[in-house]
Amino acid sequence: MRAATILVAALMLGGCERAPEVTFTDASITLPDDPLDLPPGPGRQAVLENCTACHSPSTMLQQPKVSRAKWESIVGKMIAIYKAPVDKQAVPAIVDYMVHVQATGADSP
Amino acid sequence: MSEGRLTRRALMASAGGAVLAAPVLAQKLVDLGLPGGPSLRPIEPAFPGKGEMIVQRIRPPLLETPMAVFREGVITPNDRHFVRWNWDMPTAVNAAAHRVAVGGAVRTPVSLTLDDIVAAGEQIEVVAINQCAGNGRGLSEPRVTGTQWGNGAMSCARWTGVRLKDVLARAGLAPGAKRVRFAGLDVPLTDGAPQFIKSIPLDIALRDDVLVAWGMNGEPLPLLHGFPLRIVVPGWFSTYWVKMLSTVEVLTGEDDSYYVADSYRFPARTITPEDKDFPTVPITAMPPRAFITSHADGAVVTKGQPLTLEGIAMGGDAALSSVDLIGEGWQVGCTLGPDEGPYAFRRWSATIPAVTSDLANIGARAANTKGAVQPEVLHWNPSGYARNVIERITLRAQ
Repeated sequence: MRAATILVAALMLGGCERAPEVTFTDASITLPDDPLDLPPGPGRQAVLENCTACHSPSTMLQQPKVSRAKWESIVGKMIAIYKAPVDKQAVPAIVDYMVHVQATGADSP
Repeated sequence: MSEGRLTRRALMASAGGAVLAAPVLAQKLVDLGLPGGPSLRPIEPAFPGKGEMIVQRIRPPLLETPMAVFREGVITPNDRHFVRWNWDMPTAVNAAAHRVAVGGAVRTPVSLTLDDIVAAGEQIEVVAINQCAGNGRGLSEPRVTGTQWGNGAMSCARWTGVRLKDVLARAGLAPGAKRVRFAGLDVPLTDGAPQFIKSIPLDIALRDDVLVAWGMNGEPLPLLHGFPLRIVVPGWFSTYWVKMLSTVEVLTGEDDSYYVADSYRFPARTITPEDKDFPTVPITAMPPRAFITSHADGAVVTKGQPLTLEGIAMGGDAALSSVDLIGEGWQVGCTLGPDEGPYAFRRWSATIPAVTSDLANIGARAANTKGAVQPEVLHWNPSGYARNVIERITLRAQ
């Protein structure tokens, strides 16, 4: 807020003749907590342990219904490209969970 | 592993702790109308400096602008501007310590302070739409995976900064310069993952309206929008508008980095959902789009009365030339509102003299001065990029 005030003041002083003076002030924010709401289902723990450190559960829960093979490919992409430290043995449980959650059809945020 | 990055042990500990603390909240939800769902999204939690936003993801933040905001004007207020981060964003920036390294194929690599950037050239203002390449992805049919945006991953602001070419001139281009690549302070959480870096061809980088911007609607860029500096490429999708700019790198060849060579790409020709192997090109310039903002799908209008419809439109990478309101077998030319420049939203309105029956599948169709016109049929692609099919609604006459 302080930075905004300074810039607006500078713009007014600058008028039309010359470019306004620009001042930068340190900025910081606190982002909201991520409650990690995941509906119950087989493999839920595997998802919590392997997926939600990098992103909120909504990344997975909001996806359109896709096949088991597509979920396997998505988890594979997280490991191969985004270097997610996923326990290889947990992959079937993660995929089971996503297929289960999508099969239940809950329109959960 | 470097400090702050993820180990399996830290990852499990953080996940377990957060689960125990998870509150159960009754939330107001917004229905984005995504075919087949899931379609409901919360408007909580609140984010610092933001008003009511559709929360697509808390971490890293993905916040969608509610369509109602576009009824209010062509400039999107900063607190309603959509937010998109690929990797975790830094939550604090020390202005005095911030530097922008300009290197690669340059005569003299330089490290610039924020004051150096401001002093690099003439201050420029551009009104330009910032739109995610995946805006409207959730409306694709057949559906595709990725962030399931409605049509609110777009906003329009007045950006203030200096020309990128003036910043490049501080270092001087070396012979053979072909592209200019940008990196910000956001880095991957995991070792070995691709950093979110993006590049544009030199001829685009040298345009008079491509900026290194610090101002957004007369205020400093909020952190969520890339404080202290972001790239602005009017007419191009926001994937190139790198936030928290810290590195400008001049390349002498093609860019083989992940987010240019492998991601954010679009089929080079029309494809069907069954097609597997097809050539792709980077997703770059925006096509025209238009939206009805005065009425929602299914709204009731009065039979026998005149009806005025309103909305917003954009030309994309060229000025808007016309907007038509179209129905099933009819069309009406629209009146355009004030012109804030070729890359801004522009309001439109059209009046139907008397409503005689339901207005089925009506939509606004924009065209730009390069001759691009919104298509009747979606250019389907597996990443849901560059949606610009005519958006249609049905109004009920009573």
